[in-house]
Amino acid sequence: MTTAPRSFAYSGTAATRTPPEVPRGVRAFLHRHLFNSPLGGVATFVLGAVIAIVLWRVLQWSVVDAVWYSPGDGSACRDAAGACWAVIAEKYRVILFGAYPYQQQWRGALVVALWLGWGAISATRLLSVTLRLAGWAVVFVASILLLGGGFLGLEAVGTDVWGGLPLTFIIFGGTVAGGLPLAVLLALGRRSQLPVVRFICVATIEGVRGIPLLALLFFAALILPLFLPPQLTVDKLIRAEVGMIVFFASYAAEVIRGGLQAIPEGQDEAAKALGLGYWLRTRKIILPQALAIVVPALFNDIIRAFKNTTFFSILGLFDVLGATKAALQDPQWVRYGTEGYLFVFLLYFLICSAMSAYGSSIERDNQRRARKAAR
Amino acid sequence: MSGIERGGLVVEMAGLNKWYGEHHVLRDVALGLARGEKIVLCGPSGSGKSTLIRCINGLEPFHEGDLTVCGTRLDGSAQALAEVRRHAGMVFQSFNLFPHLTVLENLTLGAVYARGEPEARAAERAHGLLARVRLSDQTLKFPGQLSGGQRQRVAIARALMLEPEVMLFDEPTSALDPEMVHEVLDVMEELAAAGQSMIVVTHEMGFARRVADLVVFMDRGEIVEAAPPATFFEAPATERARTFIGQISHANQGPIT
Repeated sequence: MTTAPRSFAYSGTAATRTPPEVPRGVRAFLHRHLFNSPLGGVATFVLGAVIAIVLWRVLQWSVVDAVWYSPGDGSACRDAAGACWAVIAEKYRVILFGAYPYQQQWRGALVVALWLGWGAISATRLLSVTLRLAGWAVVFVASILLLGGGFLGLEAVGTDVWGGLPLTFIIFGGTVAGGLPLAVLLALGRRSQLPVVRFICVATIEGVRGIPLLALLFFAALILPLFLPPQLTVDKLIRAEVGMIVFFASYAAEVIRGGLQAIPEGQDEAAKALGLGYWLRTRKIILPQALAIVVPALFNDIIRAFKNTTFFSILGLFDVLGATKAALQDPQWVRYGTEGYLFVFLLYFLICSAMSAYGSSIERDNQRRARKAAR
Repeated sequence: MSGIERGGLVVEMAGLNKWYGEHHVLRDVALGLARGEKIVLCGPSGSGKSTLIRCINGLEPFHEGDLTVCGTRLDGSAQALAEVRRHAGMVFQSFNLFPHLTVLENLTLGAVYARGEPEARAAERAHGLLARVRLSDQTLKFPGQLSGGQRQRVAIARALMLEPEVMLFDEPTSALDPEMVHEVLDVMEELAAAGQSMIVVTHEMGFARRVADLVVFMDRGEIVEAAPPATFFEAPATERARTFIGQISHANQGPIT
């Protein structure tokens, strides 16, 4: 005779112990990730072979058969089967500094050193955020003064011949420095209860998002002057920069608005109940939380802003890409455009990756703090 | 606030009406809280009790009626609103602590930025209040590291930083796990014993019995019955109150304190 099973539970005291051992090491990794089934093993071999062949070809072209040095002209490159890196050695001054007067290019080099140096110092996070931001402001202003000159015996250099990496940095820095505060204001304004403020913000955001950056820059640089009174001449660089700032801010504003909406209503109410006014609530309670949420998306926009600096080459301003294009018009080197553009590609890739890594590290910091501060 | 003598009314309202769209959520509410006294607001959900308490410090606007807090009439002006909020401390159901600030910063923020109190003095007062709610050892933690009961006690201390004439509690224990309700109620009872004027929206009928000078029962936006706790619980005058008390005590079966 069978009895129906009964519900049961044993009560007892089991000592706590460590979790069971998971196999580690190279063999375990290979087994688990690369050869965990016959099909997986075949896929690993096939893909591995493809990668090896491609890498070998790239290596052959870019290193083994490459010509590194070709004095004067590109003649030494002509018979080479590989890359002609000599074009970089020959043209790097133009690529990095554009049409900036040759004798004065040390000033551009100093600007680049300032940016890279302060970028590295900021990344260590030894300084407080306030100090870091103040440092960036100093670097930004110093860059403009240094390139412009006209004081302390420094020869004055017009913005029309500024170029290369220093110009790219300045356009980018101005875009972020001007764009982020404007983005915050636009995002707040779009949530405002004042109809006129809200309308202006919505119109700006939607209007700017509806037109291509290129059209906006053309308008700012070429068409706008036709409407301004002739006495009012604003530098082309500044006009285009304003276009960049508004463009950046319109996109970033929507990102920030997303963060603002993620903050529970109760936070604002609690701050109101403590007697804090609108700007204090925004500055001390809402924005710190909202910005921390949107760091990943914001870095998306910031990195894009760096790459968007290349649009300036179309306006006749020689950012890195524009300067490279100009450098490669030399008939003796015109065949080696691939190498020149690869160099620029690498330059952008390194800078953007560094920014990306910095963004991720801020995110990790925030996550660590958020874990502690989980509601 | 000048102009209020001891024993006067801290909160006074008459003919208060409010609508959400077509829905009449507060109907001719009249209520007065005397200095040092405690009112417990109860009623079924949707009865308007939370809306009412949120009107008192201007978190909700109302359409008609008079509402005076510590001698300041809420007339829609920003000055009146600011003045009222200086005198009314608010504790929310969901704590609403600022998660990005430490416990100590949660307390000092309002004092330093809204009242311009020197940071050192605010911190000193904060430490005193945290000791009062028995959280002296948690000052540098973030809200996320605390239990629900601890968070609500921090929220109470934060509201007390205003040195409020009246404390407003909006269902302070409703979001808590049952084993943490007591630690919060204990703190509130100590406050009450110290003479703090307060209005409490709560379903904790034991607390109402022990602490309230007046139990106010609301239903569908109006005050249905108002009586001292003994009368209210033993001999409710209306059928609606009787039904409500029956439902509450049914839900609270077990050791009713």
